[in-house]
Amino acid sequence: MNARACYVLAAALCAAALATPLWGFAMSAPQYPDETLHLQIARTGIVGDVHEVETLQQYIGVRFPSDLPELVWAIRSIAALAALLLIAAFFGRQRIGHWYRVGCAALVVVFLIAAAAAVQARLYRVGHERDKNAPIRAVRNFTPPLVGPVKVGNFTVWSFPHVGGVLLVGAAAFSIFGSRKRAVA
Amino acid sequence: MIKRHPFILVLVTVAATLAAVQTLGCGAARSARSIAADKIYVAPGELDKYYGFLSGGQSGSVFVVGIPSGRLIREIPVFEQRAAYGYAMHPTDPRRRELEETGGAWGDTHHPVLSETDGVPDGRFLWINDLANGRLARIRLDYFEADRIVKIPNLQGAHGIAVVSPSTKYIVVNGEFEQPTDGLVTNPAPYTSVVAFVDPETMEVKFQVRVNGNIDIADTSKDGRFAFSTVYNLEQGRTMGAMIQNDRDAVVAIDIPAAEQAVAAGRGEIRNAIPILDPEQVPGILTLIPVPKNPHGVNVTPDGRYAIASGKLSPTVTIIDAHTLKIVAEPEVGLGPLHTTFDNRGNAYTSLFLDSQVVKWNIDKAVNGSDDYIVDRINVHYNIGHLQAVGGDHMRPAGDYLLALNKLSKDQYIGVGPDLPENQEIIDISGEKMKMLAAFPTPPEPHDATFMSVALLKPLVKQTYTPAADAVQAGQERVVRTGPHAVTVDMTLIRSAYTPDSFDVREGDQVTLKVTNVETIRDMIHGFALPDHNLNIALAPGYTKTLTFAAGKPGVYWYYCTNFCSALHLEMRGRMVVQPKDSTVTLTDWHAAENVKGQVVAGVPSTGDKP
Repeated sequence: MNARACYVLAAALCAAALATPLWGFAMSAPQYPDETLHLQIARTGIVGDVHEVETLQQYIGVRFPSDLPELVWAIRSIAALAALLLIAAFFGRQRIGHWYRVGCAALVVVFLIAAAAAVQARLYRVGHERDKNAPIRAVRNFTPPLVGPVKVGNFTVWSFPHVGGVLLVGAAAFSIFGSRKRAVA
Repeated sequence: MIKRHPFILVLVTVAATLAAVQTLGCGAARSARSIAADKIYVAPGELDKYYGFLSGGQSGSVFVVGIPSGRLIREIPVFEQRAAYGYAMHPTDPRRRELEETGGAWGDTHHPVLSETDGVPDGRFLWINDLANGRLARIRLDYFEADRIVKIPNLQGAHGIAVVSPSTKYIVVNGEFEQPTDGLVTNPAPYTSVVAFVDPETMEVKFQVRVNGNIDIADTSKDGRFAFSTVYNLEQGRTMGAMIQNDRDAVVAIDIPAAEQAVAAGRGEIRNAIPILDPEQVPGILTLIPVPKNPHGVNVTPDGRYAIASGKLSPTVTIIDAHTLKIVAEPEVGLGPLHTTFDNRGNAYTSLFLDSQVVKWNIDKAVNGSDDYIVDRINVHYNIGHLQAVGGDHMRPAGDYLLALNKLSKDQYIGVGPDLPENQEIIDISGEKMKMLAAFPTPPEPHDATFMSVALLKPLVKQTYTPAADAVQAGQERVVRTGPHAVTVDMTLIRSAYTPDSFDVREGDQVTLKVTNVETIRDMIHGFALPDHNLNIALAPGYTKTLTFAAGKPGVYWYYCTNFCSALHLEMRGRMVVQPKDSTVTLTDWHAAENVKGQVVAGVPSTGDKP
């Protein structure tokens, strides 16, 4: 596969990521047999079993953030990356093209690291900036990991990259791979 | 030593033999128990194989029991109010209105029958009769709730009911308690009754057929041609002595297509907007098949070949060809035969009320006149009425379990005072010999049962309601004074709060309260109970109910959740504050001062009794 194809593919993956949920959360508890609750972070915000999770959150003083500035920022960045990656596909063998592609790959990686840090920071705040007057006292502050489980009261909450998250990692992989290849004129 | 004392050897041998017999005997007994236990044991978290629908008799309901475990899973209230389910508790409840319009809030349910497609249950409906008040109810099997209750005109004592096989063209309802034919109590002419044919969708009676005598149990041929009923008291007597004079009573076969043609030709006499066909005026629609006097059950074999009438006072069953209507055999089966059901191997099982037995007999052998048609007998406890094998009332019997519905339990359960429970027994019919597996008690009093595969209903059963168009939406709750003496409250419920969590009215105000449970997760049911106002309803997720009531004496009334829901269930409460009639506090002021959750709409000025 040549560099041009890699970048077209990476740009397509970024664009597709915008249409799919980026990150997912699965919440299971004994009294929810066969009906694990799911939340996704998507382009439009938090979607999934929002109604039920909101109903449950009141007991432990957790609130969904009313707005997610980092999500707005991330969506714009992904759109911009898709455009930059597509442009990379039009550069030829010249030196500037090579450096542009390397730059793009670096940007995608930097974006992923920054996004991961922002999500982790937000997850920390969700688990710590809780209503002090919440009825149930037994639940301590918690920090859901970016990937993996955390125990919150009677719930086990799993975090994981959803389709969009995997597509973005794929886009990063293809852009890195493509930056090391020669473009066929 | 042994040589010198042979008696010791004998003693040791005898003791060893006794010990071995004892051990083996106990082992065998334990093993029989554990084999039976294995057949009915459903471990916690595992599911039963069949739904058993048992009529609730004088409880006016239907019991839903898991088979083979015998666990009572749900009671479906039908002809009686049930506070725990919020059923028919309030005048605005459509079923409550139907009950009041058709004869009162109690009933006597006898025969649960399932809607059929191609001769087997299709999972849509279950019908149940109210013998006492001549009514028929339909239960939706997606929600397990009654959705229609109708009075059957022109008859009293709606006893036997059946769906017309194979595709539920009508529900047949038999009028057992004979009435003056022309409806005039002064007429000394013999009483008669009718068989009603009810449309399964609209629940309207399409036509009726007059029968002399008391029409008892119903079944239909599997091809939709005949409706069979047992009829006693052909004598048309009005006392018990007069009812048992004749040697023979009858099974009547109504030719359904012939009756339909006669109705279409306008040959029915219209009463209460229903055409009644009199077989004396319209020959050919009804055939009388003489059977020993005062028969009880009639059951059509799964293959549709025979209708089998049970003798009750005669120890016989009468086997009738279901196409030619000729009697082909009348074998003896035992004392007090009442009802018959079937397996998938050509055997019939008849309940013997007096013998307290179920007798298994081979249909072909009985028809062919073989002496060895009796296969097996098993004792039941005691005085069995109906019995039903899984699928025995449809075209594909399963041949695995049979339920014996006994009238008396006597010594079978721990003492609970003089009003003893009813006893249901589960019998394994998968082998040549019947095996008693287990028994379970029920409240009074299942008469009959029918079964449906759990797998069939699984994709059809709902677990939450889809909110109706007029449901109260979260955020749209409001309290509005709609008149000088009228307040409307739109309320939502969700863990663990009522919105609004308080509202203000005046003594005597007509309060219209619309409540929606806005939960979306299964099993999150909330109650709304209002002390001292005779109000208690239950709402499953998505359900909306509207109540109207008059506000009582001035005071603070806490409405609260009756269905344990969440960690803050006890705190799930709200206040209805009833102001004195002459209070000058306005609704808007009160709600502003109390900082009530939910929107308060000013509406009509609150003026108390002053104009």
